[in-house]
Amino acid sequence: MLMPKKVKYRKQQRGRRKGKAWRGGSLAFGEYGLKALEPAWITDRQIEAARVAITRFIKRGGKLWIRIFPDKPYTKKPAETRMGKGKGPPERWVAVVKPGRILFEMAGVDRETAAEAMQLAAHKLPIVTKFVSRAEEF
Amino acid sequence: MAEFIVEATVRNELGKNAARRIRQTGRIPAVLYGGQAPPLPVAVNTKQVAAILRSEAGRNTIFTVRIAGHEDVRAMVKDWLVDPVKGQLLHVDLQRVAMDVRLRVKVPVHTFGDPVGVKVQGGILETVTREVELECLPGDIPDEIRVDISDLTIGKHLRAGDLPLDPQKIRLVTDPDRVIVHVVALRAEEEAVPAEAALAAEGAPAEPEVIRKGKKEVEEEEGEAEERSREKEE
Repeated sequence: MLMPKKVKYRKQQRGRRKGKAWRGGSLAFGEYGLKALEPAWITDRQIEAARVAITRFIKRGGKLWIRIFPDKPYTKKPAETRMGKGKGPPERWVAVVKPGRILFEMAGVDRETAAEAMQLAAHKLPIVTKFVSRAEEF
Repeated sequence: MAEFIVEATVRNELGKNAARRIRQTGRIPAVLYGGQAPPLPVAVNTKQVAAILRSEAGRNTIFTVRIAGHEDVRAMVKDWLVDPVKGQLLHVDLQRVAMDVRLRVKVPVHTFGDPVGVKVQGGILETVTREVELECLPGDIPDEIRVDISDLTIGKHLRAGDLPLDPQKIRLVTDPDRVIVHVVALRAEEEAVPAEAALAAEGAPAEPEVIRKGKKEVEEEEGEAEERSREKEE
């Protein structure tokens, strides 16, 4: 699973997810990509599941870039615990995604293969996404 | 190359409210700058600018900006802002172009042909750089640079210095050693089993190392301060 090697603080505040992704919203490496249309916390497991779905579908050939990284820890209180007594322990890692963010990029495959692979990946994610290609961008 | 004309009007109202009102009328805010004249905020027709950006020459198209009450100006799109979700144009920067002054532009590199390394040796063609920066007169800007890469074998690459450019007219600004495309061997198939196992594994993942240096010092300082306050109370 993706997670930082070293962090300055174990726990973080939740923050807000308003606005659009004014950075990381265009294809930088590949020919095709998957763009988020909703804000979300994408967990390390969801990213890994999507990655596995893509690599299994394209088998050999093609190259994949993961454009998000889960660098935010979220905490969870243990079950049957009374409220209070401080913040719970870190549970997992998430990537904060805003609408417009490119999540995955691909190259070295034809459009149909890329679209199918991205659809499989999209099924592993908790948000609505859109398949984008370099030819459609300005 | 078709001659494009963009109709524009001078913007008197600035700010996001005025800009939004302009966008509702099928136009987008823009700014025209460069040359000897001062910058001029204008509103341009969105469809005309989009047609320019989608044309063969794309961003390097030189067109005429027809501003109501002003002389026609030759310009090119320097930069543009697109809504990341809707993909609509929001704003464009237009730069005045003097046809006798050399300028720096980014030109796309398009490759054609099936490389031997892919067709016969089973490698993957990887595009590293999609556009190169050139310096030339506005009239000499190529729409694209086309290169035949049929001879590329595994481990071989095409560099910016190998591009077919006319040295009399065009100077390459990009580092000549910069790789444009290369053919790489396929990596061994990624291990699916460990990934599955990792997915199946439950419970919290191991925690990363926390940089303690600053925190320790702070904690120690806090501890000392508490001790001092206790001593004072006593």
